[in-house]
Formats: sequence, structure tokens, C-alpha cells
Amino acid sequence: MAAKQKLMSVRRDWRERDVRVVLVALIIAVATVATIALFANQLQRTLVSSASSFLAADRQLEAENGRPVPQEWIEEARGRGLETGQMVEFSTMVFGESGFQLVSVKAVSDEYPLRGEIEIQSGMDDARQIVGAGPGRGEIWVNPRLLRLLELEIGDSLEVGNLELEITSLLIREPDGGFRLSSLAPRVMIHVDDVAGTGVIQDGSRVEYVYLFAGAENVLDDYYQWLEPQMEPSHEWEGVRDGETFSRSLERAERFLLLGGSLAVLLAAVAVAVASRQYALSQRDTVALLKTLGLSSKGIGGLYLRRLALWGIAGMVGGLLVALPLFWILVQLLSDVLEQPVDFYLDPTALVPALFTALVSLFAFAYPPIRRLRHVAAMRVLRSQPGETGREAIPDLIIAILAVFGLVWLYAGEVALVVSLLGGLVILLAVLALLGGLMVAALRRVRGGGNAWRLALVGLYRHRQASMAQMAVFAMTLMLAATLILVRSSLLDDWQAQLPDNAPNHFLINIAPEAVDEVEAFWVERDAPLDTLYPMVRGRLTELNDQPVQEAVTKDERVGALNRELNLTWMAQLPADNEIVEGTWFADGETEGVSVEAELAEQLGLIIGDQLTFTIGSETVTEPITSIRTVQWDSMRPNFYMAFPPGGGLTDMPSTWITSFHLDADNKVALNEFSRRFPTVSVLELDHIIERIQQIVRQVTQAIEAILALILAAALVVMAAVVSATLRDRQREGALLRTLGGQQSLLARSTMLEFALLGFVAGVLGVLAAEAAVYALQVRMFEGSFRWHWQVMLPIPVISALLLAFFGRWQLRPVLSVSPMLLLRRLE
Amino acid sequence: MNQMTDLSTTDTSPMLRVTDLSHRVSLETDTLTILQGVSLEINRGESVAIVGRSGSGKTTLLGLLAGLDTPTEGTVSLDGAQISSLSEDERAKLRASRVGFVFQSFQLLPALSALENVMLPLELAGMEAPEVRAKELLERVGLGERLNHTPRQLSGGEQQRVAIARAFASDPVILFADEPTGNLDNRTGQDVSDLLMALNREQGTTLVMVTHDEHLAARCGRQLHIEAGILTEPELAREQAN
Ligand SMILES: Nc1ncnc2c1ncn2[C@@H]1O[C@H](COP(=O)(O)OP(=O)(O)OP(=O)(O)O)[C@@H](O)[C@H]1O
Ligand SMILES: [Mg+2]
Repeated sequence: MAAKQKLMSVRRDWRERDVRVVLVALIIAVATVATIALFANQLQRTLVSSASSFLAADRQLEAENGRPVPQEWIEEARGRGLETGQMVEFSTMVFGESGFQLVSVKAVSDEYPLRGEIEIQSGMDDARQIVGAGPGRGEIWVNPRLLRLLELEIGDSLEVGNLELEITSLLIREPDGGFRLSSLAPRVMIHVDDVAGTGVIQDGSRVEYVYLFAGAENVLDDYYQWLEPQMEPSHEWEGVRDGETFSRSLERAERFLLLGGSLAVLLAAVAVAVASRQYALSQRDTVALLKTLGLSSKGIGGLYLRRLALWGIAGMVGGLLVALPLFWILVQLLSDVLEQPVDFYLDPTALVPALFTALVSLFAFAYPPIRRLRHVAAMRVLRSQPGETGREAIPDLIIAILAVFGLVWLYAGEVALVVSLLGGLVILLAVLALLGGLMVAALRRVRGGGNAWRLALVGLYRHRQASMAQMAVFAMTLMLAATLILVRSSLLDDWQAQLPDNAPNHFLINIAPEAVDEVEAFWVERDAPLDTLYPMVRGRLTELNDQPVQEAVTKDERVGALNRELNLTWMAQLPADNEIVEGTWFADGETEGVSVEAELAEQLGLIIGDQLTFTIGSETVTEPITSIRTVQWDSMRPNFYMAFPPGGGLTDMPSTWITSFHLDADNKVALNEFSRRFPTVSVLELDHIIERIQQIVRQVTQAIEAILALILAAALVVMAAVVSATLRDRQREGALLRTLGGQQSLLARSTMLEFALLGFVAGVLGVLAAEAAVYALQVRMFEGSFRWHWQVMLPIPVISALLLAFFGRWQLRPVLSVSPMLLLRRLE
Repeated sequence: MNQMTDLSTTDTSPMLRVTDLSHRVSLETDTLTILQGVSLEINRGESVAIVGRSGSGKTTLLGLLAGLDTPTEGTVSLDGAQISSLSEDERAKLRASRVGFVFQSFQLLPALSALENVMLPLELAGMEAPEVRAKELLERVGLGERLNHTPRQLSGGEQQRVAIARAFASDPVILFADEPTGNLDNRTGQDVSDLLMALNREQGTTLVMVTHDEHLAARCGRQLHIEAGILTEPELAREQAN
């Protein structure tokens, strides 16, 4: 019975326009935030599972100390229902009939790979096969190059330590091959149970034990929680999102979704704030009446509090009723793009931020003005009292701002994001206050004038308070929308630039200097010209300013680059995607100096002028640092930590050449011929990985478009809500103006112009503030470089002007279409 | 003799001429006749009170006279212009330049100051320095000190004085007032009607006023009675004798 009464009262409230606006704002708030959160969750799962194959699992645990991890760890994982697998990686010599060769061995258990697949070939010219498991015991799969180097054939046997294994397949591609070029030795794959039999692994051998895990995301996380305290420094837990190249795309996508969600939270808060303030104002007479009827302040407070709680519930239920079908549609779209069914994954915890948003914005925004209703004097019933001056709303504003940023922080968990958005908004409001003051001062002089333009300006002045408030909201809304548009386009541009259709997808490594010309000619003939060829010299950085480098570098951070051999090169021209951040690039004919990659330079604390000593074989080379440059590690082109000038320190050092190039799928057969002609050159096939990255980028792009559309729709609704907040006043004024002799057409035009001006100025401000926020975001979160976005910035003010003109005209519609007599009756 | 009388002697056509005016509105089931066969003439400079019971059609008649609506039948000519043959925009123009209004419930815009409320019709008419004229008028109605107060900060009588200032702002030739003292107490009503009559006299405006207030009606040159949409004029003979 009581519940029914409450329901009735929401229904009764619904008939009031202002309540409708509050409820609609709440529903939109819950719906957008919930949809984005659900979708982000789903997308992440889908992306992670499609990216998991890069690890051959969902997670890897690497032990770099040469010792297996305790068996209990694996038992624990199994006990929790995770799939597990194991790999052992080491280098050793293998012996065939005609010689021996250093190889890099990967020994895998039966479960390998937990994710992804292996590609093999049963003979040099046979078709490629996809298989779901590695070699059995007694078998060895080898890289085609090894076969050529040792002049072996399938079916021959190969000695690995004490064990003789039969070559049963050519290993073309392993799912977790990655992009690393460090292992230049040909790869072989054996069964993990054969490792002991080889006797190769002794105490102190360089060997890496890798454990594979797959299962539900939360189980993996729980397991890691359990595992982490027991891990040693040499243990590394790797997820898809750590380290590898493509993970940047994933990370950025996630951040974009976070940003989208945060903006949705902000928009929702703005909408609820505007609507509820309007509601509170409209309730003043009612409150005064209730007071004369004898209701206490406390009673009134309780009354409205209960009402707010009811709306909160109604908003949440309504929002979820909108969000769930919307989410379902988005998932269907996603599976269309992926051309594969996507598991519908509804994570109830993803709904928490949405519900929280509803409650917080309701109580932080709607409650304060409503709470002040308690102070409305009963006298108001008898005689109008002065309205609010706005000053008493300042503490509310502060609470509200804190609440909103608390929400965004809770939602995104990113201080950088919160700070960027807050910064953008603060700048915006400051500029707005300044500009508003100037505008009001300037408009004060414009008085009268029978044409629509002047009337519009007079209108702006006449409504200066409402205009300023509306402009602030529009500018904020536009800023948020523009931020998302800008981030989206720069994200997409970046990806496009990173992986164009003809991105290099094959590497040629280990080209002998004398074979360079021939190799180049081979591919030019086949219409697949090579990118720039770089010489590669392997060397270790041993001294810094004549001190052993391990001592010179005080930070005890592990700098991988110090422990292994680096790829050194020489080049005359700075690669197009590299950028000098300090010093200058080698002048023509310059032979002294070395250019260092920026991140490494920072890690080691290197500065221009430091003397670096490299040990290459038995020789040493010492050169001063002349420049520091950034490198695009995900460019799919050879990249180098250290670059020397031609004729510089590396001349006469033993070198091999390396390059990348694009090879179409239907041209791949040429690789067989190439391998026969140049048996010592390694071919690294990255086309599968690149295709997968491109697929991920496509997915993410779709998701971003969908979310952008959602946010823009929400922004539109917020703007409509704000315009309609002054609907009553506007209509009243319109009616009066018509009675006083305002012509319909003049009124229509001047109103449209007034709103268009408002929209235009708000648009310009919003876009500028968005640029400021994007600048901060770009630099901090998306690691992109900043530039102005004219093509996005110009249309926004125009669109917002047109949109608001339309809204303004639309709300005057009832006033313009009927006779002034009817209007007068309504006025009375 | 002031100059307004001179002017009215040069132009002897009536300010308002109504012939055979009827007004009906269609309701859901049938049509309701609000006014029936109304004919009347009002001369320049005259002040006329329309009295009658509530619901008799006074406001409707006033609206039709002012060109806020067009009658179902009959014609209204205001200052020589045939209202029913004008378009809505032309009627608006006519109102803006020649008609002033005072309403029972003041109809000031709550967000605007007294000054801005008075400037409204001036801005609409495209007047060059509306502020000066608006200030003058507010001073004339005794609110020179309250220019920047909003309607909420003014009493009912003060609000109606602002409305009167607004009505006279655009120098109308005719002023329509619908129960201008209806919402005010006797004393205040008295003050407001004094002001209205005085300004009317000063400006030489023609005044058409609906009122329940017998004193106020008596102060008008002429009284029209309306009953169930039909107009009678008891004092017509005396008026014409004068
Ligand atoms: N558009 C309309 N639709 C329906 N009925 C109407 C309409 N306009 C006026 N009426 C009716 O016509 C009658 C006269 O209305 P009007 O407002 O002219 O009366 P009035 O004499 O001004 O009354 P009061 O003294 O109470 O203001 C009323 O019964 C009213 O309900
Ligand atoms: Mg009336």
C-alpha cells in the first residue's frame, strides 16, 4: 500500500515539467554511464581475449633466475580452475650430420598454446597448417633457415645435447613470437619433457622458465593477488597490457573509454544540476503555501528528501531499462565488426558507477537548492519575495564541483584525467566570467533598434543572468563533447599513421653486406621494394665517461639495455619517425658522435657530451653523445638505441644488414624462393600480428564511434534541457512582447539570433577549453603530440549556433502560433 | 485648449469604430457565442469604461478592439485601419506604434528591472535612446528611485505604476486597460487610477477601460454596459447632449 502510494507520487510528479526534466536527466545519466561502463567492460574482455594469443595465454609468469617456480604455485592455479602450461627457453648448439648451429630452443608442454595457434609446414613447398599444440616427445620442429644452414631435411634427426630428436615439421609461426629481434639464432621447438633428457640445462645456465595461465579475468586477478607477495624480483607477471608494442593501442582504447565515461558522468551531473535548480525555484510558492498550512521547515525538508530518494530510484530503474537494450545493440554491432559472435558479458559491478552517479549528482546538485526551500518565508504566499541572489549558492557550487570530480576520479581512477578536465573547466569558467563581464558591459550600450540583430543583442543583455548561466553550461557541454571528438580524431589519425595498409609486415635480418644489392634487386623485381636498409652491429655499452657503466649508473633500476647486447647502427639521415629532442643530428660528413634513444638516455641519466664506450667483439669504440632522439617502437621498422654517423665509430666493425618491407599475402610464395636463394637471411613474418593489430584498431575505432555518438546524444539532451529550463520565462516574455506589438517574424528572428550568438560564443569557448584539456590529456595520457584541430574546431561553434537557434525557435513555437488574445488569457 | 484637442478637431474620424461585431468560439461539442451584434464608436481623446458582470465578455471585447484577435463577424477599425483585414504582423505593428495596455495582473517580466520592463516596448519599436524615455516615465509615475528593482521587490501598486509607465512609453494614441485596479486595495487603486487618468489627460490618449470599480467608471467620459455579450449604453443620450 505504502509502495503504491510512493509510485503514485512519482507519477504525479511526472506531470510537472521541471520534475520531468530532472528525471530525464537522471535517466540519461544512468543510461550513458552504465552503457559505457558495460560496453567498456565487454570490449576489454573481447580485446584481451583477441590479444591474449600474443602471450599464448592470458598471463605469463616468467622466471628469469634460471630456476623453476615452486610447484605449489602451479597447483594453486589449477586449484582455482585456471588452465596452465609451461615453457622452457634456452640457447644451445644443435648438431646435424653436416655441422652445428646455435639455436634458441623453446620447449613446450602439451597444453601450449593456451591461446592462439601455431603455424607449421610439413615440407619446404607444402601448404602451411595451423595446429593447436606443439611437438610431441622425441620430435623437434625447426625454423626453415636451420634446415638450410645444416643442409637437413624433414625426417632427419638432430642432436640436442644428449638427445636425438626427429625433425617432423617446419616451424613458421608461434603465437607468442612477438617482435623481439634479439634472438637471432634460429628457433627450434621441442616437448618440455625432453628437456631433462638433453642434459643441456646445468646450474647457472641461461634459461628462462615461463608458465602460462588462462581463465576468467577475476580468477586471474585473485590468483595474482595471492601470488604477488611470494614472487621474487626475477619473477615477472606479464599480462597482455604490459610491455608489448600493440598494448599501447589497447591502453589508449581503454583510456578513451574511461574518458568517454567520465565525460558522461560530467554531462549527467550538469544536466541534473540545471534541472533540479529549476525545479527548486519553481517549488518556492508551493513551499510557502505548505508553510502557511502549518508544515514545519523540518517537515518540508523531509518531504523533499523523500521525493529526491524516490526520483533517484526511478532514475536508476529507468536508466538501466534504457542502458541494457542499448548495450545489447552495441554488442551486436561489435560482433558484426569482428565477424564473429561475441559472448554477451554483463558485469553487474560495471553498473556501480552509474548508480553512484545518479545518487551523487542528485544529492550534490538537486538537494542543496531544495534544502534551501526550507527557508522560504511563509510570507511569500501573500506577497512575492525577492528571489535568490545567487550568492548563497556558492557553497553548493563548491560542494558540487568536489562531488563531480570525486565521481570522475572514482570512475576513471586517473588523477591526470581529473586534473586535465578540472583544469579545462576552470580555465573555461574564468574566461567565461571575464568575457561575460565584457560582453554585458558592451551590450549595455546597445539599446533599442527595430531590427532583429539589435533586438537579439538587447535580448542577450536583458537575459544576461540566464544567458551567462546557459552559456556556461553550453560551453562546458561543448567542451566535453569537443574533447571527445578531438581525442577520437587524433587517436584514429595516430593509429592510421601507425599502421597504414602498406605497413611493413616482414623483416629481413642477417643480410651479409655483400648480399645487400642482390637482396634489394630480388624484391624490386617482385614489386615489393625494401624500406631503408640499416647495418647492424652487436655491441655492449660498457663505459660511461671512462667509468664502468654498472658503477656509473647509480640508480639500481634494472636497465635491460645494459645487460644484453645492443643493436648499433650507422645512418646518414634521421629516420622520418624519429625526432631529435636534444643536441643536433650529424652534419654531412661528420664522423664523430653517437645519437642515443631518449628513454634509454633518461633511464641512464645520459646527457649531451657524455662519452660512451662500446665493446664490440674484442674492440672498443668511444664516442661523445651528440644527440638524443625519440623512436617509434611500434612503427614496424628497424629501430636502434644507438646510431653512429657513416664513417664514424662503427666503420670496419663486423656488420649484417636489416630491413623491413611490405609483402602482400598473395605474394608470400616468393618467400620460399627467397629463402632458397639467400639461405642465411632470416625472414621474420609479422603479417599475422599486424593484421591482428589492425583488427583490434578497427574494433576499437567502432567502439569509439559508438561511444562518441552516445555522448553527443547526451550532450544534445543536456543542451535541450538547459534551454527548456527558461521555457516558462521565455514564453511569458514572448507572449507579452507580442501583445505589446512585437511582430511574429521579428520575434522569431531575434530569438533565433540571440540563441545563435549564445551558441556561437559558447562554441568558441568550449572548443578552446577542449583544446586546453586535450593538450593536457594528449601529453599525459595518450602520449601523442599536440596540434590544433581546425577542421574540428571550426564547425563546432557553427553547429552549436544553429542548434541553439533551432532550440530557441522551437520553444517559442507555442507563443508564435496562436493569437495574442489567447496568450493574454494564458498570461492572466 | 491643449494641442491634443486641436489635433482631434483636425481629424474628426472616430478613433474606434465597431460594426456588427460578433465573436464565437467553437468548443468540443458546440459553439459558444461570447459577443453578439456589438456596434460602437469611440472618438479621439474620449475615455470609456466597459462594465458588466464577470464572464459577460468584457476582456474578449477589449482584445478584439485592440486587435489582439479578429472577430468572427463584423469589423473593427482602429485609428483608420481596418483591423480584420490586416495580417497578424501588420496588427502587431499597429499595436507597437499606437496601442498601450494595462492589465489587471500587471504582467511585468519578473527577471527584468522596472526600467527594463518599461524599455521593452521602446526597444521593440526600435527607439534610439529608450533608457532616457523610460526613466522619464518612471519618474513621472513616482518610481524614479526604484529603477533597478525587480517586480518582486515592488508592491502591487508600484508594479501597476510600472505597468502604466510601460503602457505610455511608446506614445500610444489609445490605451486599453483591463481592470487596472482589480488587484489593488481601495487606496492604492485610487492612487493608480488617479495616475492613469492624469497621464491620459496629459498625453491626450483615448482610453478604453474595463472595470468593476464604480468610482473609476464614473470618472470616465462614457460608460458601456455589457451583458451576456450584448452591449447597452445607458448614458449615450446624455453623452451626445454634451
Ligand atoms: N477562447 C475561449 N474559449 C472558450 N471560452 C472562452 C474563450 N474566451 C472567452 N471565453 C468565455 O467567454 C466568456 C467571456 O469571457 P471574458 O473573459 O471576456 O469575460 P469577462 O467579462 O472579462 O469576465 P471577468 O470580469 O471575469 O474578467 C467567458 O465565459 C469565458 O469563459
Ligand atoms: Mg476579464
